[in-house]
Amino acid sequence: MGILLFLTVLLVAACGLIYELIAGTIASYLIGDSVFQFSTVIGTYLFAMGLGSALSRYLNRGLIQRFIWIELMLGVVGGFSSALLMWAFAFTQGFQLVLYALVVVMGILVGLEIPLLMRIVKDRYTFRDVVAHVLTFDYLGALGASLLFPILLVPHLGLVRSAMFFGLINAGVALWSTYLFAPQLMEKRSLRAACFAVVCVLGVGIAKAKEITTTAEDNIYADEIIFARDTRYQHIVLTRFKDDLRLFLNSHLQFSSRDEYRYHEALVHPGLAAIPVPRTVLVLGGGDGLAVREILKYPQVEKVTLVDLDPEMTKLFSTQTMLTELNQKSLLSPRLQVVNADAFPWVDQSRENFDFIVMDFPDPTNYALGKLYTTAFYRAVARHLSAQGFLVVQSTSPMFARDSFWCIAETLHQAGLQTFPYHVYVPSFGEWGFVLAGTHDYVPPKSIPGGLRFLNPEGIPLLFHFPPDMAPLPMPANQLNTQVLVRTYENDWKDISH
Amino acid sequence: MMLGRRDFLRTGSAALIGLSLKSERKIEGSFVNEAAAAGHLLRDRKPFPPPKQTLKLPVVIVGGGIAGLSAAWRLRKQGFKDFVLLEMNAAAGGNARSGENEITAYPWAAHYVPIPGRQAVYVRELFEDLGALKDGRWEERYLVFAPQERLYLYGRWQEGIEPAVGLTQVDREQFQRLEDSFAKYRASGAFTVPLEVGYWRNFAELDQISFDDWLRSKGFDSRLLNWYMNYACRDDYGALARDTSAWAGIHYFSSRESEEKGPITWPEGNGWITKRLLERVAENVRTNQMVHKIVPTVRGANVFAGDTEYRAEFVIFAAPTFLAPYLIDGFPRLSDFTYSPWLTANLTLERMPDSKGAEPAWDTVFLDSPTLGYVDATHQSLRTHIDRTVWTFYWALAEGSPAENRQFLLEKDWNYWKEAILRDLERVHKDIRQCVSRIDIMRMGHAMVRPTVGSISSEERSRLKRREGRILFANSDLSGISIFEEAQFHGVEAAQRVLHHLRAAR
Repeated sequence: MGILLFLTVLLVAACGLIYELIAGTIASYLIGDSVFQFSTVIGTYLFAMGLGSALSRYLNRGLIQRFIWIELMLGVVGGFSSALLMWAFAFTQGFQLVLYALVVVMGILVGLEIPLLMRIVKDRYTFRDVVAHVLTFDYLGALGASLLFPILLVPHLGLVRSAMFFGLINAGVALWSTYLFAPQLMEKRSLRAACFAVVCVLGVGIAKAKEITTTAEDNIYADEIIFARDTRYQHIVLTRFKDDLRLFLNSHLQFSSRDEYRYHEALVHPGLAAIPVPRTVLVLGGGDGLAVREILKYPQVEKVTLVDLDPEMTKLFSTQTMLTELNQKSLLSPRLQVVNADAFPWVDQSRENFDFIVMDFPDPTNYALGKLYTTAFYRAVARHLSAQGFLVVQSTSPMFARDSFWCIAETLHQAGLQTFPYHVYVPSFGEWGFVLAGTHDYVPPKSIPGGLRFLNPEGIPLLFHFPPDMAPLPMPANQLNTQVLVRTYENDWKDISH
Repeated sequence: MMLGRRDFLRTGSAALIGLSLKSERKIEGSFVNEAAAAGHLLRDRKPFPPPKQTLKLPVVIVGGGIAGLSAAWRLRKQGFKDFVLLEMNAAAGGNARSGENEITAYPWAAHYVPIPGRQAVYVRELFEDLGALKDGRWEERYLVFAPQERLYLYGRWQEGIEPAVGLTQVDREQFQRLEDSFAKYRASGAFTVPLEVGYWRNFAELDQISFDDWLRSKGFDSRLLNWYMNYACRDDYGALARDTSAWAGIHYFSSRESEEKGPITWPEGNGWITKRLLERVAENVRTNQMVHKIVPTVRGANVFAGDTEYRAEFVIFAAPTFLAPYLIDGFPRLSDFTYSPWLTANLTLERMPDSKGAEPAWDTVFLDSPTLGYVDATHQSLRTHIDRTVWTFYWALAEGSPAENRQFLLEKDWNYWKEAILRDLERVHKDIRQCVSRIDIMRMGHAMVRPTVGSISSEERSRLKRREGRILFANSDLSGISIFEEAQFHGVEAAQRVLHHLRAAR
């Protein structure tokens, strides 16, 4: 019995540490500032454990039964802690409240465990042995957990399922205890029934965890989903692995925080820096505020108008710390006006003129989005261009979707604009293309804002060179009545993905 | 953060209620734009109150459909403003009327115009005036957006209405042979829009047999081909192929070049044209003015409508021609004018039904349905996000005699037709009852003239077309087929003739 008993201690200790690590990790993923998050989570957790230990003296009778109930409670609370925290982040105003409340509850429960166990076994061993063995296994469990967590659990199981998995271990310990301490226990049957119930709930949780957070049909999210939300307009997913934060809209990758600077610098500066005195800028799409971040680097720009369909998108990117760190609070700039509207009707009714217009829409994967890549739309947009102005269109990959890229360029051309296509390499996307267009000639800028990580004035002219495998192809223009681009795009990507 | 706790509780409880109430959505609606009662006053020759005032005017247009509005458009375009247009309904437009709710505008009947060919001179002139045609280029937003049409057959969807799935070798061969023979008729130049331009007498014998007989005599017995030909006749004429003149059936397919650009259309269908025409002629339009008597005089005609007697030098009779014997004193009975009864319905959808494997489409048709399917009013919207919509459902009561169907149409209540419509849609959209919140139904006893055998070459018709005198006819039924271009052609022609006479007299 001895070794089994101390194995229990080891498992219990591992679970306790895992919950603490999970709470700290999620807090730093979601709110940022990991030093602060980890410090406060660990501090609160340890304090709560102390509280639990202090409270243990009030438990006098039926210690084994109490211990089993504590394990079950911890299994449920700890097991669902990740899911609860992510839910709280997505759907409530009080993420921190939930976080610390959860940490306190878990800490108290964990704090109760060891004192109770020590008292349960105190009659079998000398005091000296009890203390030595229990604490040894306690620290061993902690070591195992702290190694397992970053190496195996987070990369392979993810935060939601890791928590549930350890909840299952707590429940397992509870069940096992009903056998281990069988002679001293009454009401074994009801205890075991409770254990089975908790095991089942957690088992279903693990099985469903994938479904809860990802779209079932495709396993596109390699990393942990830290945010998933169906808005009225789209399915927003944020994933995180180490320092890589990714945004997916309707399962399509929008950016990776590791290399988005390449994309957004290339989207904005070749055009905007070439305009002598840009004062007003319009961004269509791009509710993540990353293009706006680049635009705000021009002190001459007095007013930026951002038109994005989804208010939840712009709200998310103006309130969540990790996202506002990425876009440098661009969406909160006094120079910015956010309009949540459908782009085409908005462009039709607007009477304003702009020196620079950025079209940063998702790729034309369906007929609805296809409307935003038509001659009719580009004509409507071009009416808002000032005499010195340029517009730029994110135009998918000239490498993987070469037909589509040149179709977009031709569409702009047939909308009566001069076009200047260019491309950059963005590791998480591959080769990516843009089409700059205007009513006059383009001369690459001699100077650009300081502090860029990717572009410099010498490099910009090079972007306009297309090697043979991405060279222009004769393509028809995309029109509302043909929507050739949607079909072309579908074919292009079909060729790439088996 | 994104959603307050209260919001969450609210949506949460709404979702729970949604789950617990598995029952259907309550569907509201009624009959709308009812005109039968007023029309029957004329049929039954009920007495009307005597006029309280008399107005002298050079020209009165009777009927505010496309023919009447086009006559008005032409008069004003020529600088002539001294006329009124009398419309019996609350709104002008006739078969080009439309409605609007908080989601979208939608058509009540005609919902598109095919790209007019070179011969449709007046139509092209109109669209240039309305800004739809600029420097020979059609405004992209008015061309029907892709994808256009879809057909549901054998439990799946296909793009386009002409069946292309599950065809046998024989089917394929017959479709090809028929297309070849339509191409020959097309090349002959006899089948034109407007019909008046072509030299149809070359093929007068085709007007003496039914389209169905013609198909059979040429050995076209493919079931799918016959379904498609019948669909076309129901769609354009409200009649089955066996009740349609072969000449008219061939005209449907041979009168237009197979354009790759679709027809032109708007969310409110041809209601868009009505609105634009009204912007130009509203000053002359008098609605809720049912003409109940026209008395020809030596120097014109007196038109009685409401409490007014209009003493006109010329009357353009743009209302359906079958009304002439009921309105015009001493007018002979007509025998060559048959009309098809129709029902259209506008369905408000709170969400789109689940339809797996289906691309969105403007026009949706079900194989072997007695109805004509539906048109999605928001298809032509420029928005990228559309979660609610309006479907316009079309049903020509073609099977059986028009008179019986007309009676049946008026006899059955709204609930009957609502169920009939839902049952038809339910064959394909299983969850339609959970999507629809409102069904408004418009019943039209005489929706469109029917090109019955012999009607295209009818002497009676050609007499009316060439009629000289103070009352000129202008309805599309003069052509024997009820399409926008014919209505517009006769309306403009009548206006031209009136102007000619007026100028000659001065």
